Amino acid sequence: MSLFAKFDAAESTRNLLNSLPVNPTAVVIERVVSASEAIVGGRPTIMAGTNNYLGLTFDPDAIRAGQAALADAGTGTTGSRMANGTYQGHLDLETELADFFEVPHAMVFSTGYAANLGTLAALLGPGDAVLLDSEAHASLFDGCRMSGADIYRFPHNDAQGLAKRLRRLGERARHALIVVEGLYSIRGDCAPLKEFADVKAEYGGYLFIDEAHSLGLYGDGGRGLAEAAGVLSQTDFIVGTFSKSLGSIGGFCVSRHAELELFQYASRPYIFTASPCPSVIATTRAALAQLRARPELRIQVWRNAERLYSALSGLQLNLGPHVSPVIGVSFDDRDVALLCWQGLLDRGVYTNLILPPAAPEGGSLIRCSVTAAHSDAQIDTIVQAFTEVCREHGGSNTV
Amino acid sequence: MQHSEVVEALLEMLSSSLEESRQLSSESALIADAGLESIQVIEYLCEVEDRFDLIIDEVSLADVSTVGELAEVVLRLRGPERS
Repeated sequence: MSLFAKFDAAESTRNLLNSLPVNPTAVVIERVVSASEAIVGGRPTIMAGTNNYLGLTFDPDAIRAGQAALADAGTGTTGSRMANGTYQGHLDLETELADFFEVPHAMVFSTGYAANLGTLAALLGPGDAVLLDSEAHASLFDGCRMSGADIYRFPHNDAQGLAKRLRRLGERARHALIVVEGLYSIRGDCAPLKEFADVKAEYGGYLFIDEAHSLGLYGDGGRGLAEAAGVLSQTDFIVGTFSKSLGSIGGFCVSRHAELELFQYASRPYIFTASPCPSVIATTRAALAQLRARPELRIQVWRNAERLYSALSGLQLNLGPHVSPVIGVSFDDRDVALLCWQGLLDRGVYTNLILPPAAPEGGSLIRCSVTAAHSDAQIDTIVQAFTEVCREHGGSNTV
Repeated sequence: MQHSEVVEALLEMLSSSLEESRQLSSESALIADAGLESIQVIEYLCEVEDRFDLIIDEVSLADVSTVGELAEVVLRLRGPERS
């Protein structure tokens, strides 16, 4: 068989996408205007498909900090921390993250993907058991697979399903790792973290939560869904990313376990990659300071989420079960989803199109997200665009 | 429990999770023939675990593509029958 034969399916998918009036994977954001607007296809467009939840990508403090770091420390670190040295900024950010989560240990990675890969591949090994939510992000699965541990999937957000599997594991359950997310990024549904923590208390094991999409959104301090659910002290590892609410790029892990400090000697995705560049570290630190100092950003993004969710519910669209800044609109018919997505773009509203097999439950989905930077008028424009495309194309399947 | 009995149970569960009826057998592939998407395969396997009260690790599934092969995994994980 040809080396390239494995790409036959990908080529079919690309041909299908290229046959559409607009290929959803080929949309170019020609110019970014603000945290909520861009020029797409030559047209001013409201960005309703980002992860810029707190709208901090244009935060003046973060931009100033990044510019100063570029001038002071240059464009890149040119190597890994293990081989080429740790910058003071790396340590400062780790100290600030540990302080934020009120735990003793923190570790910074170059991307969110690397954080999941690097922590799971270091923490787990052959013979270990890991229980992974069936809709967990690919980076979590990849980290588990890289570790060589025994991977067991449990039904999405199903605490009883998890409990049954821990029971079947018997004695091994006491040392098993339970891996879940906080806010799920496609439909905007939340994990029942209190129930998961209760199951862990009953059977043993360790709880690992990916708060990539929930950092900055949940909890009185914005620490994420574990804080909101009151289970921070029962959580063993929290991972997250800088590329969403914090508006830069990178990832982290925080923990009360001192062994996290040893991951730097065991985590290949940490050891064998270049460390985050100084400007990224500087903008991340500035954004984290904003997240902590300005709870009004969190209040605003939730206000916007409720405004959009409520209006889309009024259109009888099939939405995810929870109001959140991620609002997934499900469609049974892929072609209707495609037409509606393109209709939104034609009206100056950028959203994310999720097609099988990426969408949960095998359907298609238009993913919207809101940011604290959206104005009421922009939210209303998004709703108006949905109203028009649903009228034109038959809309989403009804609830 | 015999292989054929497990296959029958697996096919019955598969039929009830499919929107369209299909002619399926022990040789049917879960993805190519039954038409399950990858996420649906995971959900189906969770149902299989509950039905047989066992837990299936990903490595055991590495060489599984058909219903018959899945039945072999189920039988192996269930262990010898008690008399």
